[in-house]
Amino acid sequence: MSKLVLLFTFNILLLVAPSFLKAQETEEDDFSQYDDLDFADEAAKRYATSKVIGLSPQKLILMGYDAQGPYKIQSGAVNNTPAETMNTTLTHGFQLAANIPVYSRNSLIVQLGFNYQGTTFASTKSTYENDFNQVLANATHHTLGLNTTIFKPFNEKNFLIFQGSMDLNGDYELTKLQNPKYLKYSAAAIYGWKSSDRLMWGIGFAQTYRAGELNYIPIVLYNWTHPSLKWGAEVLAPARAHLRYTINPRNMLFFGYELQGQSYRLNNGNNVNWNFDNLELRRGEIRVRAIYERQVVGFIWLGVQAGYRIGYSFNVDHVADGKDFFRGSFGDDPYAFENKIGNPLYFNFTISLVSP
Amino acid sequence: MKNVFNKLFALNLFSLMLLLTFSVSAQNDGDALLGVWEPSNGKARVKIDKIGDKYFGRIVWLKEPKDPNTGEPKVDKNNPDVSLRSTPLRGYRMLKDFVFKGDGVWEEGTIYDPENGNNYSCIIKLKDDNTLDIRGFIGIQTFGRTDEWKRLIIKKKG
Repeated sequence: MSKLVLLFTFNILLLVAPSFLKAQETEEDDFSQYDDLDFADEAAKRYATSKVIGLSPQKLILMGYDAQGPYKIQSGAVNNTPAETMNTTLTHGFQLAANIPVYSRNSLIVQLGFNYQGTTFASTKSTYENDFNQVLANATHHTLGLNTTIFKPFNEKNFLIFQGSMDLNGDYELTKLQNPKYLKYSAAAIYGWKSSDRLMWGIGFAQTYRAGELNYIPIVLYNWTHPSLKWGAEVLAPARAHLRYTINPRNMLFFGYELQGQSYRLNNGNNVNWNFDNLELRRGEIRVRAIYERQVVGFIWLGVQAGYRIGYSFNVDHVADGKDFFRGSFGDDPYAFENKIGNPLYFNFTISLVSP
Repeated sequence: MKNVFNKLFALNLFSLMLLLTFSVSAQNDGDALLGVWEPSNGKARVKIDKIGDKYFGRIVWLKEPKDPNTGEPKVDKNNPDVSLRSTPLRGYRMLKDFVFKGDGVWEEGTIYDPENGNNYSCIIKLKDDNTLDIRGFIGIQTFGRTDEWKRLIIKKKG
């Protein structure tokens, strides 16, 4: 019987010994032996990554609320109704965005995103003589969009970024979307250089509605982190540019601006009986701001921003059947009517799930 | 009695051979993870070892081994646990507790990102003999990011 016990003990020792011995080996490494190594696969290459050290975390899902303080909208005469001033009390709305990596290889990253932004113009009156003011007071402006970002590195230094989006903007109801022929398409392509783990930059070209109307502009990417890791810059000009101060990787401050805007189709509900049916509000604004972002628990981050919203464009164009046109800086196509907008303080609050 | 013992011995030897065969086979599949790997950012090299039945990965090389601010070897200064912030990064166990599940998949482990001090759930898939898909995620795999790691070997001379 004792021989049997011995046999089983021997068996068990034989089975567990290899892993025990391997565990012992791991603590005896000489780190210098890892200095001169090559890829096992001779065809393997190193590629530039899409981030620099210290960059703010990418948001997978974001929910937010945006509120602008009181200001005046001086609306031009339209549809035989006189010019009139609207005194807004609160311009506010919710936002929701998702940005999910769907394909992730060292040589190619593809992300797909969704975004929603609502804006309601609350004012001191509910009825207006000016038709444009009445249209503004009647309905919430919505933006519903899909977007993609593709990062394609060619080697350790050079890369290409492509961003594309399509947005449905207007004062439609969410239960009754406006015709897809009014979709607005934006796109950007950037060719870049990753000079080090702390600096990547690039130049490119974009078709954009950020200034309210269709534009074609050169763009610059500049993401940089100081060796101290305390300061950095996150720039995609002219859309946005921020100086970053990192208190620690879970607490960050940003100072800078963002250019926001879209072209919104008006009077989708035909609540105002005006003579033209294809008016689009070219809403563009510059937000000069400070942002504080911090991790609250796990991978949930809070963001609070406050600043000054400067109206860049609030004019209205006639866009026949959604077939947009390019006015540019030197174009002289007349607006359907022109408006002036005041510049209030604003506040924005976000909660987000950040990416690993 | 001797005859009975001989039969038992033969049976035991046979079962032991079977066990060893299966054990070595399973170990070989799972042990495909062992070795030195480079994450896509190229900033570190990670050696994966097996301890007991689980797999762990330690940082064994850093592209920038010294902190540019202090000139000293980098430490885990972003760890939320203050008592761990003086731990050297080289030698740090950033992959923990992976269990081989078959079909080139290791699960139940975590990955630590020293750049922000976060631990993530993680799943490792062997894409080919020399490539790993390392997916760090939050809660469910949809909310995550996949990084491709490449196997490293000692440089060929000449």
